[in-house]
Amino acid sequence: MSLKIPYSQTARKLRGTFGVGSGPSGRIKRLRMCVTGLIRHERIESTFARCDETRGYAERLINIASRHGDKDKYAMEVADYWLLEKDLIHKLFKVIVPRYENHRSSYTKLYMLPKELPGYGKDMGVLELKDNPWPQVVPKQRETKYFLTNMLVDELRKEHHRTKRSPFVNKILETSADNIDIDSIQNQYILDNLVDNDEGKTKNDQSHENKND
Amino acid sequence: MNIIQKHICRCLIQKCNSGNVPLSFVPARQATVLNWLLDKHRKSQLSQQPEKEDDIEQETIMVPRDYKYLYPEFLPPANYRHRDRIREKLERQDMFCRRTMIEVPEFYVGSILAVNVADTYAPSKNTRFVGLCISRENDGLRTNFILRNHIDGNGIEIKYDMYSPLLQSIEVLKLEKRLDDELFYLRDCPPEYSTIQFDMEPIHLPTGSAVPLNTIKVPLGPRPWDKKWDIKNFKGLQPSNRVLGKRAAIRLERSAKPWEEHDLMKQYRENINDEDVETVLKEVVLKTKKKSTKSQRRQ
Amino acid sequence: MASRSPLVCASNCLQNILFRDAFTISRVLTCYQPVRYRKRSSRHPEWFVRRRVKSFDEGLTQENKQFIKDLTVEQYKNKPSPLKEEPLERGEWDLRTRRTGVLALKIGVIPQWRKDGTKIETTLLQIIDNHVIRYSPPEKFAQSAGWKPWWGRKYGSVVVGALSCEPHLFSKEYNNLFTEAGVPPKRKMTRFLVSPNAAIQPGLPLTAMHFRVGDYIDAQAKTIDYGFQGVVKRHGMKGGPASHGGTKWHRRMGGTGGGGNMAGIWKGKKMPGHMGADWNFAKGLRILRINTKYNVLYVTGTTPGGNHCYVRIMDTCLPNRRREIQNEPPMPTFYPEDVTDQIQEEYIDETLFDFKEPSIEYIDEESNK
Repeated sequence: MSLKIPYSQTARKLRGTFGVGSGPSGRIKRLRMCVTGLIRHERIESTFARCDETRGYAERLINIASRHGDKDKYAMEVADYWLLEKDLIHKLFKVIVPRYENHRSSYTKLYMLPKELPGYGKDMGVLELKDNPWPQVVPKQRETKYFLTNMLVDELRKEHHRTKRSPFVNKILETSADNIDIDSIQNQYILDNLVDNDEGKTKNDQSHENKND
Repeated sequence: MNIIQKHICRCLIQKCNSGNVPLSFVPARQATVLNWLLDKHRKSQLSQQPEKEDDIEQETIMVPRDYKYLYPEFLPPANYRHRDRIREKLERQDMFCRRTMIEVPEFYVGSILAVNVADTYAPSKNTRFVGLCISRENDGLRTNFILRNHIDGNGIEIKYDMYSPLLQSIEVLKLEKRLDDELFYLRDCPPEYSTIQFDMEPIHLPTGSAVPLNTIKVPLGPRPWDKKWDIKNFKGLQPSNRVLGKRAAIRLERSAKPWEEHDLMKQYRENINDEDVETVLKEVVLKTKKKSTKSQRRQ
Repeated sequence: MASRSPLVCASNCLQNILFRDAFTISRVLTCYQPVRYRKRSSRHPEWFVRRRVKSFDEGLTQENKQFIKDLTVEQYKNKPSPLKEEPLERGEWDLRTRRTGVLALKIGVIPQWRKDGTKIETTLLQIIDNHVIRYSPPEKFAQSAGWKPWWGRKYGSVVVGALSCEPHLFSKEYNNLFTEAGVPPKRKMTRFLVSPNAAIQPGLPLTAMHFRVGDYIDAQAKTIDYGFQGVVKRHGMKGGPASHGGTKWHRRMGGTGGGGNMAGIWKGKKMPGHMGADWNFAKGLRILRINTKYNVLYVTGTTPGGNHCYVRIMDTCLPNRRREIQNEPPMPTFYPEDVTDQIQEEYIDETLFDFKEPSIEYIDEESNK
């Protein structure tokens, strides 16, 4: 099964910590502790980079457990390696796997915590399993259904569906092309001076695009 | 929290949870378009000629299990930066066209092949080579395989492009598998394990039988070797008598990476996931269906 | 505009889609003035248009979002095309003409074979949704600030855009740039210099048929960004020995200058620094194959940049590989009316091996005699 979360092609290098060690072996040791913590408490708080790394491993672990079942040798081996506290193996197969039986999306959720002003140190994050018993991380938002924009667009939509195209929309579609002063100075000025290596434009775009798309 | 902090918090939370979207993994300076975004543009209704999807009932097609090992060259690379849907499609079209012209039989690493190639320098403008297949690499039109034979006291290896138009025919003389995926260690083994007679007659398998597995264990020759074969845990090699020195033993101990055995993400990055394999192989099943009814495995 | 409806004030998204206006502050045209700045700067150029809207969640419901999406598609489909009114005259081709280029995306590199059996690497370039967005003749172009004096006054400019998007992603100013062409706003735009006889009308689509099989092209793209690199990778210097007493001297630069009269480090000395992310050319590439279904060009060799990067493609400037007078290209671009018979799905070069043909066999000439 494919992962439903974003992942990078190269793994992050995590910083070594006391008692665990550094390098690739220390990284895996630390991540094993994080995964067991996640399965135990269903929500953990750590640095954002470490949360993001554990996310992939936790997703894969649940994927394998749900696919092969608890009678498979390989699945048990993997669960035995990644869960340091052995009573969690039972929880993984009997509680968490049935919970995500009909899930189409990812099993976990990742949040970035705000920095205290003035900002220093690393970015902190919160990683949690979905459908957990804790209260929500994001407080409940206001319902947007009765916003002014929504009400107005609702009316427009209903009218549009009734008359196939409302006179209001019709008017806009007709007039918008003609009313515009094409030869205005600005348009020409901008288009004439388009330069291809506009680094300023492209630099911050991709992160924004992702957000809105 | 004051208002600014709240606002920052809200923005950040939106940023993290924007669905199935890679966030920070492509550097912003690399002005490239991401895979999912490009596919969205190709199919969007705003474009001049939006791409039409093939109306094939793909869900009803069942992919046989062994197709993954039968047609390994159709599987795309695992690295998502080297992938593109349209490029793979066009590449596969060429491969299917070539397969109608020349019959590419079923073979694995360890089976014995005879290959005919057009050659300008040969007197008959055609050469035939018989050998043991010791590796099968790459994907797409770039796939190749290496044949090895021992002739007149010299080991000879020839690499063939599988989709090169110079290939006249590929014939399987003996169909079998070995214990390993690569047999490069035969370079340092005694020559009798890689000598094959040119006038060898093809051995036919009975109909409907599975591909046999050759469980031969090959001894290594005297040192020096091309690589340290004895360290690398090949299943088809006999354990060597080499006694490691003190320093070498320490070095071997240090080079072991036991944590990579259960590194789930590393395995995921290096292999293609099953969903992608299925979508590709469904197309292969459709295209090879017509052919397979005509020519089944020669018995 | 505001008197029309309260919707204008209410929604940023709706402003972009439904109400477009050109109420802008007129700017003063300036003459050419050389400005010194760093090669890779984060500063915007003077003509920068704010492209993105600020991240502002409007809280639209799922139904309303879909409705606005449908509305935009309908709007662009029903729009009267600017091409129907007084088309520009099509010029005739001569040896000094400079046609527009196209903006393609690099898809990948695959091997192909020639008819004599040699293997070559080909790059696949896909042309997605290209449109001409503006043409300005040489007189107008020479007045603008982006014009450089060494280009001369004989070239106009053409702006080409690729990958059409939904307008609510962008700011109103940016969307207004596309009103003349009558196409949805594009994700990426470039400019090509064009001679006046190859003048082209805004709103025209550019396809892979802009070129023909056997033509030579130049491809320009941004190279892969390697970041800050040492001297061995950046300039290919040799470094030092791995062993034999090489202490802390493996990937270093060596001497930087002599003594005496010529002492000191000269300007332009090759040193560690930022590598890549630079505009680069690959000139004289031959088009071997064209797929008209997906608009893909197969081109010899490789082009700069990684996978899925933008590539500017234009007719080659190399004198020996230009076209002859008899073989004139479609001017100013390919029109489907020009061809009487149906367009084939694939065009393949004479020298390239077609995979539908049987395999290559060499003929023994001596035995035939």
